[in-house]
Amino acid sequence: MIYVNDLRKEFKKAIKEPGLKGSIKALFKPNNEIIKAVDGISFHVDKGEMLGFIGPNGAGKSTVIKMLTGILTPTSGTCEINGHIPQENRQKYVKEIGVVFGQRTQLWWDLALRETYSVLKEIYDVPDKEFKQRMAFLNEVLELEDFISSPVRTLSLGQRMRADIAASLLHNPKVLFLDEPTIGLDVVVKDNIRNAIQKINAEEGTTVILTTHDLADIELLCNRIVMIDKGKKVFDGQINDLKREFGQMRDLGFELQSAGDLSKLQYLSDLNLSADDIELKNEGASVSVRFDSNKVSVEDMLSYTLSKVHVKDINLKDADIEEIIRRLYRREVSIDEV
Amino acid sequence: MRTYSPFTRAGMLESVAYRANFFCFLIGEIMSCFIMFFVWKAVFMSTDSETFMGFTMEDMVVYLFITFLTGYLTYSDGTYAIATEIRDGSIAMRMIKPCSFDMCFLFQELGNKIINVLCIFAPLVLGVEAYRWIITGACQFDVVHFLLYVVSLVLAYLISFYFNVSYGFMAFYLKNLWGADILKEVIINFLSGATIPLAFMPKALASVLNFLPFSSLSYTPVMIYMGMYSGAEIALRMTMQVFWLCVMILISKVIWNHAVKRLCSQGG
Repeated sequence: MIYVNDLRKEFKKAIKEPGLKGSIKALFKPNNEIIKAVDGISFHVDKGEMLGFIGPNGAGKSTVIKMLTGILTPTSGTCEINGHIPQENRQKYVKEIGVVFGQRTQLWWDLALRETYSVLKEIYDVPDKEFKQRMAFLNEVLELEDFISSPVRTLSLGQRMRADIAASLLHNPKVLFLDEPTIGLDVVVKDNIRNAIQKINAEEGTTVILTTHDLADIELLCNRIVMIDKGKKVFDGQINDLKREFGQMRDLGFELQSAGDLSKLQYLSDLNLSADDIELKNEGASVSVRFDSNKVSVEDMLSYTLSKVHVKDINLKDADIEEIIRRLYRREVSIDEV
Repeated sequence: MRTYSPFTRAGMLESVAYRANFFCFLIGEIMSCFIMFFVWKAVFMSTDSETFMGFTMEDMVVYLFITFLTGYLTYSDGTYAIATEIRDGSIAMRMIKPCSFDMCFLFQELGNKIINVLCIFAPLVLGVEAYRWIITGACQFDVVHFLLYVVSLVLAYLISFYFNVSYGFMAFYLKNLWGADILKEVIINFLSGATIPLAFMPKALASVLNFLPFSSLSYTPVMIYMGMYSGAEIALRMTMQVFWLCVMILISKVIWNHAVKRLCSQGG
């Protein structure tokens, strides 16, 4: 379905010295530097699969998506989607895909939302009957009814995102690219959007590629993830493998009754842990402990802590995606295929 | 064609979306037209003869208003629109649609033009003709010249459109085109004869300017409307327009094909 082979993209970036003087100097004597945004990435995706594409800011996720959707031309390497090479015969290729960039909109800013859909209907040549069915379906999963007559500029971010997703699905694409579809949305809207994506994938067999910073998106939607950092692939496999491989880091935060109690907590020796498995930070009486829940269970951790000290307040969090990547780097491992 | 017709519809809706803006723009344009009228009136009053460089005051009024109309209808927002989309990166959203980039813009702008024609074309032509009738005491309206003017006007618009698209594509290289856009407007207004009729310029300069594409943008249709050209001259001028249109389309395609390869989408 989707084959990506040794994909690379380099950008030229102007280097400016700071301040007005530097800017003026750069105006007359530009100084360029080559940035490798994507540095030799390969992977493949099967039909009907939902692939999560993750990595920290600036890792090159969006650049990969832009090359896959035919917006950017790779410096070298190839990608093939559904038998098409995106940069060749772009117009034909994009008829088969749907794209949502969370930070942009494809909707007609000054017009009622409905008008955008009727323009899209003509562009994609959707027959009347199919269009009606499709709108009814999208209406049901994304609840567009309330704002379909409002100008797009008056929509809230959540409404706009739902409308954008509907716009990308109107022509029943074979592949759906979602670049941060839940960015800046509240919990209810996020749920709403995740359900819609799931439903579309289940009912239509649409292949979905999704980038996000929200680990919950990935856990709820994707069976497989590709993680990249600094333009290189660092992980490709099932999400459970990632957790098993790199540990499930948890954050335990609590407030001590008295700051002096801190010395009573000897996690390393008492729980038999190595320095790599646990990290303790404190600011006066408020303490945060980050630990690997594969090495020491949450239960043990809590009961040990509570048996040693008196706490005023306590909370437990999942570590975020950046932490997994950070940890992955600290171990200096990279896994290509799992 | 059918694919792009909704763009025209959307363009029409868009141009009336901000009503106050639309009317302010219209009033502003007409006011600047009257300012030019009074400037030229002062010029004519200070000369002793009835005519100034072969133009009567009546010719000058027709020239001014028809030039204004032509300029208004052939004006293309392509440079600004394309440059903006390139600068903020939203051009990416156009590239994921199965349609040709320039056709989307063209048809969208046509929608805009249809509204303009309805709101300003008919009243202005009627006004100019009424003025001529009153001054000369006879109807000066010539159907053949008028129809030829319309054809020439459409050609002028298309030249203007593709010129602006090509110019806008330069934003791929320059990233921000604001300064270059203003420079372009001033140069075009002068070279196309929109500010001063080419006939008023020194012979050598006028003949060079007549050959350049800029005269095709405004001077040619206006002269046809006014009946200043003979049949042979009209044929020559319109051939020139077609020639320049082909050149502009070709240039825009070449730039697009080259630029799209080095597109780097700005802003995430």
